[in-house]
Amino acid sequence: MIDRELQDWIDKSINEIATEEESRSLEKRLLKDEQARNHYLNAVNLHATLRRRFSVEGETPSVALFPNRSRKKFAIGLAIAACVALFVGLLAFLMPPSQATATIAQVVGAYGDDQIAFAAGESVKPGPLAISRGLLRLDFSNGARLTIEGPAQLEVMNEMRVILHRGVVTATIPESAIGFVVDTSSAHVVDLGTSFGVSVSAEGLTDVCVFDGEVEVSLPQPTRADATPQLVREGQAIRASKGSKKINSATYETTRFENAWPVNSGVLQTTGSMRFVSPGPDFHPGNFEDNEHIVVFPERRSFIADEAIRVDMVDPGQYAKSRHKEKPTLLPEQRLTSYLLQLNAYPSGEKPNRRRSVRGQITFAQPIVGVIMANRLLKESEVIFGIPNVDYPGARMIEARPEGDQRRGFDSVILAADRRTLFIELQENPGNLDQFRVLVEAE
Amino acid sequence: MVSKIPDPSRHEEFVSLYVRHEPAVFSFVLAMVRNTADAEDVVQRASMTMWRCFDQYESGTNFRNWAFQISKNAALNHLTKMRRDRHVFSEKLIDLLAEQSEERAENLDARRRALDSCVEKLPAADHEMVAGCYAEGATIRSYAEQAAETANKIYKRLNRVRSQLQKCIERQLGLEEEVAQ
Repeated sequence: MIDRELQDWIDKSINEIATEEESRSLEKRLLKDEQARNHYLNAVNLHATLRRRFSVEGETPSVALFPNRSRKKFAIGLAIAACVALFVGLLAFLMPPSQATATIAQVVGAYGDDQIAFAAGESVKPGPLAISRGLLRLDFSNGARLTIEGPAQLEVMNEMRVILHRGVVTATIPESAIGFVVDTSSAHVVDLGTSFGVSVSAEGLTDVCVFDGEVEVSLPQPTRADATPQLVREGQAIRASKGSKKINSATYETTRFENAWPVNSGVLQTTGSMRFVSPGPDFHPGNFEDNEHIVVFPERRSFIADEAIRVDMVDPGQYAKSRHKEKPTLLPEQRLTSYLLQLNAYPSGEKPNRRRSVRGQITFAQPIVGVIMANRLLKESEVIFGIPNVDYPGARMIEARPEGDQRRGFDSVILAADRRTLFIELQENPGNLDQFRVLVEAE
Repeated sequence: MVSKIPDPSRHEEFVSLYVRHEPAVFSFVLAMVRNTADAEDVVQRASMTMWRCFDQYESGTNFRNWAFQISKNAALNHLTKMRRDRHVFSEKLIDLLAEQSEERAENLDARRRALDSCVEKLPAADHEMVAGCYAEGATIRSYAEQAAETANKIYKRLNRVRSQLQKCIERQLGLEEEVAQ
């Protein structure tokens, strides 16, 4: 029997105005009454059909289907495509790409199985890919970016999917490539717009670490029809072994991705005592006390500032403190990527208060356009380039050698002539903090 | 292992199958997630999975059931995420609805087809309201504002018109059956 009460709940549900209580009452009724379910399905069917019918009218067919998030247009685009025979743009998208699926964007000492070096700019077509050593960055045509650390064996299936048999990859997936899949023998990893790392050991043990955003992980199954995927969020990790029926959560441990991840984030190489940290959910620059390393945090990526930015250094050479010179200014509307570098010493060991000195070198993939050292300018630029909701510390500027001063014990930052490399030597008393910000041309 | 990319005719096959069954899939998903915007999201996600897994679909088998299965998983994932914030249908009810939707798929198809002529028969004012409420990006609220009416009044009118349409569909289907006999 279709009574007024049921009709009322269904109407409210369809109009999206049902209260929690009405929603529960409707569910209760539908659970026990097959007739009511039929009635509900008919009502929703009518509702859905009206939506499809009237949303399409007056719409221009959309060709941009999967690649952007304009989801509504997808189905509409398809529906129209069907009417107008087969849509050229749609076919162009659905056809297998005739050109390369990905391009090798960066190579850091990477060699193939045959010991022949990879070269940047080479194109990669679907098929197996083996890297005996080194690091390789693949940029897919849909914007997905994958850094592979050898020894690794994988298969590029298409621009939305790779199979990793062994090795370490880190992935940065923009909106245009959401749904990107990394398959291993023990897990099926679907990206939901994020950056993450996957490693497969020789024994087939798969580790997944999510640096940012979220991914879905399920067991490898042909259609995954009855495997409920597990949502893994930033700062979380999972582990799955071959043949296992379960995906286990694991400690968030990024060490194994520390080589590949910087390359993904635009850092070509670091030498000396540099450590690259991916900011997790509870990121705070103060969380990373480290006496041995200069720690590098990626901040905002490919960001356009709409105001001029004052910096301390733009030209190659050594940074020197100068009160008289006016600060160089970067013009707005440049697309920039920002990194924060720091030495945060803490008391430890036999002489806890010994002054620490750490040296390192970092090379970015793109030219450095400015370095920011002074407290005031750090604060100014934080508003633009800082990671939102992060509490940045107060005083932390580095003490550069004043011009003409020959004494020891100052911090030293040198921008090399290639404009991509910084030579850094920082000195700090335990309990204190040195920080500076590097702005790099976005890719 | 040699990588495999489906040949172009498979792509055309996917497009033609998907286009044919998309309205059924959308209705199926909407019954489970109940919110139009969320349903669009889920369908989009499911369609991507279908596309990725299309090499596992055997030509000639029931595409709709295959698509339903993938969409049901996508809907369940979505509901799991939503469950923390508000009441959503339980998995048990989703199972029942999915099962019934599959059983009644032909009938629901017929109902969709019958709707067209019923909409045409609506009085002009009702037709305009339905078109306004269901237009791309529109909500009942936004339409009410535009028509300088209270949302409540529009809800009531819309409920009434939908129930008229439902009766019209049933009459039509009844007629078809008589003709078939």
